[in-house]
Amino acid sequence: MKILIELSINGDSYELAIEPQVSLAECLRDHLGLTGTKEACGTGECGSCTVLADGKPILSCLTLAADCQDMEITTIEGLASQNVLNPIQEEFLAHGAVQCGFCTPGMVLSTSALLEETSNPTDDQITKALEGNLCRCTGYNKIVAAVHAAADRMSRGSVEDSDK
Amino acid sequence: MSELDYVGKSVLRKDGPDKVTGRALYTVDLHLPGTLVGRILRSPHPHARILNIDTSLAKRVNGVKAVITYQDTLGVKHGFVETPRYPADQDCLASDRVRFVGEEVAAVAAVDEYSAEEALNLIRVDYEPLPAVFDPLEAMHMDAPEIHPTHPKVPEHYRNIAGKTESEWGDIASGFSQSDYVVENRYESHLRTHGYLEPQATVASFEPEGKLNVWTSSQGPFLKRAKLAKTLGLPQSAVRIQKAYVGGAFGGKIDLFAHEYCAALLSMKSGRPVKIIASRPEIFASYRHGQPLLVEVKTGVKKDGTLVAQQYRIINNCGAYRGSGVVVIFLSWGFAMLPYRIPNLRYDGYAVYTNNPIRAPQRGHGAPQIRFAVESQLDAIAEEMGIDPIEIRLRNARQSGEELPNGDNVHNCGLSDSIREAAKHTDFIRKYGKARKKAGPAERYRKGIGIGVSSYFGGSLIYPNSSSVVVKMNDDGTATILTGAMDIGQGAETILCQIVAEEIKMPVEEIQVIAADTETTPVDIGSWISGNAYVSGNAAREAGAAVRRKLLAIASEVMEANIDDLVLEDKTAYVIGSPDVRMSYAELVAASIRTHRGDPIIGDGHWRTMRDTPTHPSLATTKGRWSENYAFDAQVAEVEVDTETGVVRLIRAVTAHDCGFPINPLLVEGQIDGQVSMALGHAFMEEVLMKEGRTLNPNWLEYHMPCIHNVAASEHIDVITESFEIDRPYRTKEVGEGYVSAILAAIANAIYDAAGVRLDSTPFTPEKILRALGKIT
Repeated sequence: MKILIELSINGDSYELAIEPQVSLAECLRDHLGLTGTKEACGTGECGSCTVLADGKPILSCLTLAADCQDMEITTIEGLASQNVLNPIQEEFLAHGAVQCGFCTPGMVLSTSALLEETSNPTDDQITKALEGNLCRCTGYNKIVAAVHAAADRMSRGSVEDSDK
Repeated sequence: MSELDYVGKSVLRKDGPDKVTGRALYTVDLHLPGTLVGRILRSPHPHARILNIDTSLAKRVNGVKAVITYQDTLGVKHGFVETPRYPADQDCLASDRVRFVGEEVAAVAAVDEYSAEEALNLIRVDYEPLPAVFDPLEAMHMDAPEIHPTHPKVPEHYRNIAGKTESEWGDIASGFSQSDYVVENRYESHLRTHGYLEPQATVASFEPEGKLNVWTSSQGPFLKRAKLAKTLGLPQSAVRIQKAYVGGAFGGKIDLFAHEYCAALLSMKSGRPVKIIASRPEIFASYRHGQPLLVEVKTGVKKDGTLVAQQYRIINNCGAYRGSGVVVIFLSWGFAMLPYRIPNLRYDGYAVYTNNPIRAPQRGHGAPQIRFAVESQLDAIAEEMGIDPIEIRLRNARQSGEELPNGDNVHNCGLSDSIREAAKHTDFIRKYGKARKKAGPAERYRKGIGIGVSSYFGGSLIYPNSSSVVVKMNDDGTATILTGAMDIGQGAETILCQIVAEEIKMPVEEIQVIAADTETTPVDIGSWISGNAYVSGNAAREAGAAVRRKLLAIASEVMEANIDDLVLEDKTAYVIGSPDVRMSYAELVAASIRTHRGDPIIGDGHWRTMRDTPTHPSLATTKGRWSENYAFDAQVAEVEVDTETGVVRLIRAVTAHDCGFPINPLLVEGQIDGQVSMALGHAFMEEVLMKEGRTLNPNWLEYHMPCIHNVAASEHIDVITESFEIDRPYRTKEVGEGYVSAILAAIANAIYDAAGVRLDSTPFTPEKILRALGKIT
């Protein structure tokens, strides 16, 4: 028996009829075509399906879509505005923190949540924030470097903003 | 020689923006209208006779559109290797027998996953369980259960021999008799898996007119096309494999897999697109992992550490079908004999059928297992002879221009420099032996340093053997590359762009890539056997050179100048000394179309390693040429051993390497970091645990891959022995697989240096270390 739900994703509202057991990941990918959210294990072990719920990273494969109705969901598609990459995305590229790219949406979103809370994170804070995101290609060295670089740029940017 | 503008530079990857924005479409992301969900029924038994399969109830489930079993197939077998000695041994769906837990028995396609799952549950298979064998040594006994009673095997005095490789060089008996010291050891490795994040997945869509369209997560489309066409009884031209982004592979996505065959056949039966995504537990429990090897190595040396003779006996537990199990015993000979000059060698490698899942290549394909054994033993020999680990390696390291037993030449060889640089950079000699020689009570935490060396090669002949590339100019003066290469994350498309950019002097951003489509792009060797940068890269270079020659010819005509006086730069041509008067490439293309009977300037290029060798080297004897690209590396590990808990920490990993000319240093670094991380997992964390053919830890909670808490401090030193010159073949050698090996050996040697215990098996668990320290029994 399907239920009717309302979701707010990347600032847009959607009304959907879904089976109650449908996960947020499945809903995003199969019902809304937002395939930037990846699913690699389906059991909350790898972090590929990370999205932001009210700014906090959650595992969309373990979250029921129906439980997300009063949250603002941000997926990787909601991060770059009008095809302009944000500093996290740019620094991931500049530092070679992307290889096959399958973990990248989750990594970038986890980083985004971290940098919202902590403008200049230490290595330990980065490790803590990204500990749930598996990457098999990079060995993580360049991901850590990219997060630091993005943090530097964003905190500089916000200083410049406040100077205006 | 002109200056290099585009190669040797850390150009950002072409597919980067797609990947960081989530726009990149992987096979799992594709959806065609009307797509059915495919599911596979797998054997619960490691070895059983199939008495009957009844699908009648499954077919009646609402929403089920097709059900297939062996009866629906053409009965054409396939195999990773298909040669007269090693004929294909695997049915696309099990016929009268299953030989491993998870073997594919039937498949269904239905409108949704619920009806597909229900149908699977209603397929009734009657099995008669048979005795099974899982250990290769047990399987070799003449009274062991026979896994392939009727299929051709290699005649041996053992049972279940899937394959054997034998090779010799010099005179092994005389080598041992000339030696001052002979030692023999046995090393074991364990089962690990690739851990690619994107699950195995296929979308197949059969058009009633006879065309089969396939998207599949793979390492190269042309091998997939050949195998699908053969097993489905279709002409190759009727099968089109198209590009989707690939979320990691590491050797695990090369060969034909049952889900690919089933998606295709289910689409042919149902007339609708079919998508199959393997679940992570399915991948862990039933798909192909790497290959644990038993390595026996006997070595003879002179007093001064000169290696005189080495003999190997390798046993590979190759699983229920040959898979790449007969390839790894062939390659292991190479990884054994490459780095050091040893005048007398003898090698026997066996691949043994067991009732385990099939094996695949896994990054390094035998090299980590072999180098762990040889390098561990070499350190022990050095200590016995009173020589340090650096000196014994330098004494025996191959030098530029040396000929190998297979007739290949190592050409420029940076091995000695790599060893020296790695030692210098880490202050090796000063640190080595410090922990063990320290007087006073033993400390709980002990540091150690160790070294290993390795050599890898790239681009050997394996179907489809060669790569071709087409470069076409566009009216606006930009260029488009057509290549069959598959970018699996290593950056294949980016480096091909850089190479073409260099040849035609055009910014990388102005070059588009159309890739990995069997219908519209030329053949490509595939992203395995470390062949992309060399084979496809040289094809791209040739195609770019053909375009450059045409650009120069037309510029010479229009500008009334000698070709030798023309300069190409940033999409323009000018006469040397007059850079202010330039013709744009757009103008040259227009001129060519006007005056050269419509030629819009298209160039093609082709490359094949060992161009004069008709076929690949013999898997049985190793004879025949392998490659002209031999890469070398020395890796140093510094570790800390907690002698109370047995936990070892990798503090530092240094890679000094001769990888050939680095087309893109940032991508090279990515390969080094990724391999060191994988070796870290190999050494300490990862093991697929199996009991009687069943996987006990089929998930990432219990199979521990390195996470961000396990970053290896990876540093590297480039020992560059090759250059890139316009219009000249170049050697990139190898960078994608060779660095998972020496570092593993280096870690083992560093553990010995720290704690005085030498482990003869991977992984290096706290339990093994404590036992070796005598702290537990």
